[in-house]
Amino acid sequence: MRVNGEAHPYTPGLTLWTLLRDLNVDPARVAVAVNDDFYPGARVPDRDLKDGDVIEIVRILGGG
Amino acid sequence: MQADPFHLGGRTFTSRLLAGTGKFHDFGLMREALAASGAQIVTVAIRRVDLKAPGHDGLLDALDWDRLQLLPNTAGCRTTAEAVRVARLARAATGTNWIKLEVIPDPRYLLPDPVGTLAAAEELAADGFIVLPYVQPDAVLARALERAGCAAVMPLASPIGTGRGLRTPDLLATVLDGAGVPIIVDAGLGVPSDAAQALELGADAVLVNTAIAEARDPVGMAHAFALGVQAGRAAFLAGRMAARTHASPSSPVQGVPRLPDPEVPV
Repeated sequence: MRVNGEAHPYTPGLTLWTLLRDLNVDPARVAVAVNDDFYPGARVPDRDLKDGDVIEIVRILGGG
Repeated sequence: MQADPFHLGGRTFTSRLLAGTGKFHDFGLMREALAASGAQIVTVAIRRVDLKAPGHDGLLDALDWDRLQLLPNTAGCRTTAEAVRVARLARAATGTNWIKLEVIPDPRYLLPDPVGTLAAAEELAADGFIVLPYVQPDAVLARALERAGCAAVMPLASPIGTGRGLRTPDLLATVLDGAGVPIIVDAGLGVPSDAAQALELGADAVLVNTAIAEARDPVGMAHAFALGVQAGRAAFLAGRMAARTHASPSSPVQGVPRLPDPEVPV
């Protein structure tokens, strides 16, 4: 699977919540996409992940 | 001057200066500059969390989003698909359906892709976004973006971050002529007179980031841009004089007191 453009090892039983916990990401301040499903940080579901999933975790930064 | 509301995306604003949040040295300075600008619409970018140092940078906490309209952008997107995806991430991250649409394949001049921008605008407008596309000043494209359902069109003054001012006022005039949505001049404005010029020509608003953030005194420059926008808008509403080729004296030509001059008939 890929997380933010980088290869990430898949382990059976991995869920989105455990992934975020393992990455030390506070979901409240981010948005998450699992493939083409988009979730606000506060409403990230604890869905099962599959090998091959493409996950993106983004935040707000200063910009014009 | 009478109330002059600025309607955009179903909301009403009093300020016609939109401000960016990039390039500021610290949040305190940014907050002061944004306050001095009077901006009510503020842009932000969407970026991947650094997984080696996860966390957020605090921008969302630094400003009062109950008072400001958050305008995420798709800066950094090179294709339609990237921009649509980042817009959906932005909506998830911010809760707003406003999006400043940028599809920019060219890193040297940061010039937008008109075809890719139109395709993304159609897809995002159909998906319920308030779409504000960044484009070159092209009247045909602007009308197509209106038909696609965009809430505004944002023609550039000159390339992003150059501070070179409004380089194609005649092209901007063709975009303004017959526009059915607000026209917001975005990118390249360097000084308040550039903003005033855009508003004098009839632009509904301008968006400024670098010119404020990179000023020696960002707070002072933000205030100056607020005044420039107000001056330009007031001048547009007042209606400029017609330009002439030859001089036209302002004072009466009759009865000028003269000393006797034998060479000049009285």
